[in-house]
Amino acid sequence: MSKIFKNDTFWFLFLGFVITLVVYILNAEKGMIVAKTVYSTFFEVLDIIVAVSIFIGLFQVWVKPQTIVKLLGKGSGIKGFILVCTFPILMGGSLFTVFPLLKALKEKGARTGAIASFITAWGGKAPLLPLETQFLGWPFALLRLSLVVLFAFVMGILMDWVVEKPVEANVNKR
Amino acid sequence: MRAGQIYLLVAFGLMAISYFKEKQRTRDALKATFKILYTIMPVLIFVFVLMGLIQAYVSRETIASILGQKNGALGIIYAELIGSIALFLPPAVFPFGGYLHNNGASYGSIAGFVFTAILIGVTTLPLEFKLFGKRFTIARNIFTFVLAFFIALLMEEILR
Repeated sequence: MSKIFKNDTFWFLFLGFVITLVVYILNAEKGMIVAKTVYSTFFEVLDIIVAVSIFIGLFQVWVKPQTIVKLLGKGSGIKGFILVCTFPILMGGSLFTVFPLLKALKEKGARTGAIASFITAWGGKAPLLPLETQFLGWPFALLRLSLVVLFAFVMGILMDWVVEKPVEANVNKR
Repeated sequence: MRAGQIYLLVAFGLMAISYFKEKQRTRDALKATFKILYTIMPVLIFVFVLMGLIQAYVSRETIASILGQKNGALGIIYAELIGSIALFLPPAVFPFGGYLHNNGASYGSIAGFVFTAILIGVTTLPLEFKLFGKRFTIARNIFTFVLAFFIALLMEEILR
């Protein structure tokens, strides 16, 4: 039991339950609206969430972080840049899980722009496509997914220009 | 057949192929899957409670007036601000976005919200700062906000 309470995510569940209960006590009708929304949305996403979690789990064991680092290399050159703007779209996880991977890329000598492009492209979130299409429709999801490549591309150029340049200028001065 | 059931079938199919190729890896994958479910389910349910609260207390008109088409570019900026501070796991972003859309938020606002909710996080700032430095962190987050705005505008133009 104490182990459950140590889990952060459990507290979300607990807090959600308390909020619903308080609303119900204050106003039974509004409490029912909250409960019904939770119930119907939960069953709307359950199978999708399970499927998505399986996809991400399989991706994690079959495509190791080291493989990704190797594949993307320094993210330099046209080929590397295109890869860095597209491949991360396929990856799951949260920013907390991609940052350490990017640290490894950076240590391998990846440019600032490549790191920034990677993060942006990762925001495409193709593994969550089943969820996105369920709630926002295919036109929205596909348009967003294609624009994310452009987004990542511009991001990389801007970041190289703003963050990388001053450093190079300093090196040249010496 | 629901779309979700088809995804589930595909997922089980892939799982079977994976098991056939390498049992141990597939066990690891299953463990990872359970860990993901265990982490995101409670947070998702919490977000559903938030959606219920909005359903119960905030009228469609209010949402539409803040995030709707009529509020145009300003609505996108509001949505981006919400996305930047919202402590959402990516899987919760889409149900919440879809919910806002059903209640009068424009596609542009939703796009702005989705991008910033995934790419900008108050909680991840310290880690980003530590790993990539001040200059990188500030520049990336500002550029993300600005570029997401233009992409959201474009999406609104195309989809409305």
